[in-house]
Amino acid sequence: MASLDAGGIATSGGVRFLGQRRYYWRLLIRGAALLMVTLGIYRFWLVTDVRRFLWSNTEVAGEALEYTGTALELLLGFLVAIALLIPLYAGFFIAALDLGILGKLTGILAFAALAVLGQYAIYRARRYRLTRTIYRGLRFHQKGSAWAYAFRATLWWTTTVLTFGLAYPFQLASLERYKMRNTFYGDLAGSFEASGLILFLRGLPMWLLFFAPLALAIRVFIGLDWQALVDAVAQGGDDVMSKIEGGNPGLGSAIVFAMLMGGASITLAALLYPAFQTLILRWWSSGLRFGDIEMRSHLRMRHVYGSYARFVGYASLFSIAIAVIGTVALVVADALAGFAKVDASGQITTTLVLLIGYVITALGFSTIYRATVLLSLWQLGMESLQLSGLSALEKVKARGRPSSAFGEGLADALNVGGY
Amino acid sequence: MPDGTEKPYAMNFGAGIYFDGMTSARHEVGVELTPEGLKISGHDGRLWAQWPYDEIEELAAPDNMLRLGRRGSATLERLEIRDPAFAAEIDAEAIHVDRTGALQRRQRMRVIGWSVGATASLLLVAWFGVPAIAARLALVLPVSVERKLGDAVDMQVRGVLNTGKNDAAFDCGTAAAEMPGRAALDKLMRRLESVAALVIPLRTSVVRRHEANALALPGGHIYVFRGLIDKADKADEVAGVIAHEIGHVAHRDGTKAMLEGAGLSFLFGMLLGDFVGGGAVVLAARNVLQSSYSREAETAADAYSTDLMNKAGGDARALAVILEKTGGATEPGTQILMDHPETKARIAAINRLAAARPSAPLLEASEWAALKQICAGS
Repeated sequence: MASLDAGGIATSGGVRFLGQRRYYWRLLIRGAALLMVTLGIYRFWLVTDVRRFLWSNTEVAGEALEYTGTALELLLGFLVAIALLIPLYAGFFIAALDLGILGKLTGILAFAALAVLGQYAIYRARRYRLTRTIYRGLRFHQKGSAWAYAFRATLWWTTTVLTFGLAYPFQLASLERYKMRNTFYGDLAGSFEASGLILFLRGLPMWLLFFAPLALAIRVFIGLDWQALVDAVAQGGDDVMSKIEGGNPGLGSAIVFAMLMGGASITLAALLYPAFQTLILRWWSSGLRFGDIEMRSHLRMRHVYGSYARFVGYASLFSIAIAVIGTVALVVADALAGFAKVDASGQITTTLVLLIGYVITALGFSTIYRATVLLSLWQLGMESLQLSGLSALEKVKARGRPSSAFGEGLADALNVGGY
Repeated sequence: MPDGTEKPYAMNFGAGIYFDGMTSARHEVGVELTPEGLKISGHDGRLWAQWPYDEIEELAAPDNMLRLGRRGSATLERLEIRDPAFAAEIDAEAIHVDRTGALQRRQRMRVIGWSVGATASLLLVAWFGVPAIAARLALVLPVSVERKLGDAVDMQVRGVLNTGKNDAAFDCGTAAAEMPGRAALDKLMRRLESVAALVIPLRTSVVRRHEANALALPGGHIYVFRGLIDKADKADEVAGVIAHEIGHVAHRDGTKAMLEGAGLSFLFGMLLGDFVGGGAVVLAARNVLQSSYSREAETAADAYSTDLMNKAGGDARALAVILEKTGGATEPGTQILMDHPETKARIAAINRLAAARPSAPLLEASEWAALKQICAGS
């Protein structure tokens, strides 16, 4: 890794991550505790702390990044987003009361509108994060229309769903091209050069592995005697099931086979997920360009699997602890409820214990996930980068203004947020 | 690391990296602590910047570096100091630079204090505010809106209740053999409704569900399950339960519950955000809160029922009788009417309220027999 000491800029260089895991764990655990007592209001401060930590400990060609966003900006953006969403939700609610065609369509329309709005929010949130990212005294910024992006992204998602995911590589490439050609570091324009076809070819084996068991199951079902089945159901009566069985000796085993294949598919998906993530991260970061600056990623699959293994380890330990503490808490709550005679308050106490237990469990897993997988992905993703053409860094000029945090707030309210 | 007790200007010159905020060029500079402020100059003697001490701010940086900027500057000019001793010197001079983190901790404590306060206020709003608002809103809601609301709920409820396993229609009282039963029910309803004098016209249906139960929807729709009629030995027992449901309609309980549900899911879901994918938290919180609302509503509806039955001349204690019979039922789905852990307390309260006065059955024996057959089928 060519880090530089003094003077000019090496033409190629790497990225270093200096953050300490211990510090990050402390930050996240304290954040989780505060999230709980503030019912989540603390998240604006936690997110800001996390970003400050990640950004400022990431050193690109010898210079650390800087995050200048503040929690108050995020809070304000969130409040503005809420002010926009309240009338929207109220409108959906009133429309849903209509008994005619409008009422029936409201659900679909609301889903579509919120999906587009979610993509809009993602683009605006990216703009906020970029304009709060400072490197060598200059900020990044993003142009382009968030609505144009939202419609593009919605169309692509629809295509991807309709093609069972086969269009996903092309979606990623197209959306990333749009984002990157509107992304600037000072006056240095970004672009995205990775090809969707290459990702498609590399990802195809995984796709086949996932869908092959499902396809086998479907084939067995197609082979059944459907006419006999329909007849049996149409006849009705008390012993429909036995009639179905009689007419179709293969049905029982077909169902068992389908369940086995479904299980195989899910297991394969879980096992392949880290590989899939590595593939995409490597492909994506190798396609990023800023002017003449090119990036190349050497991300190792086994490192990513390692971070997931750490997650599984910590999560298992945490599960055991929660099971022990939870049992004790429930027994105590039960005893207390019995002591106070069984009435409403006893029921509420038990419910509250379960509720708090659920929140602690969920926060615990999310904290472990952030401290193991997400931090590792950031670190591995960054440290595996090799940059070339860095002499361009000598003469970039300042451009761009900070944008509002409205997009972040909207993404938060719609639950589509990222880092 | 040296602290602030050292003599000032023990070391008033150090090295740094400077970015002017106009271009990305990296400048190695010498930094001098002068009485007026920080003087940043290049090795060639060029003066890059001069920052008064009270305009210097500390910015996010890795542990091994002090990163400074100028407050209120139009550009993002940055000065980076790597030497910890020299960084401590600057820290001692610049009032807004605080590397011990005490300032930040104090701000953080303020944030935590305010968020905990906001949380307490939200919980109070959920506990007292939402039911109060829902109760007032439900009373001023025009009947036409309430009926619309009820129709929307009706579709959902029917979808849940009607499992479609029956051969006959889901509604009883439509087939020829069931007509006399329907007529008896209509007579009973006319009697109760004329005494109740509601602003909302009632619509009552008996449906094919085997649980001993009944429920009232917003907008005056009352469902009586055939299981209830099967369990009842007297017409007044059925009438008492229906009167209880009329109480819910009169008190607008269904509408209140809907408005409460909407308010709570807004409060907990949207405002607080999905910090742990917490749809389940919202649901559980709603259940805890709403079950405490509904307890009061049940007591009020019981009181309404005894009052209505007394006024109609029926046996107000019949409600207690059927409650006793069904209270121990363990079938699933009985929760809707039997959503009361304190069934015993309710029975006692009903018997206390319902004065032992002479009463006449609300239906003739023949009419009661017909009502019993309302779900007899075609």
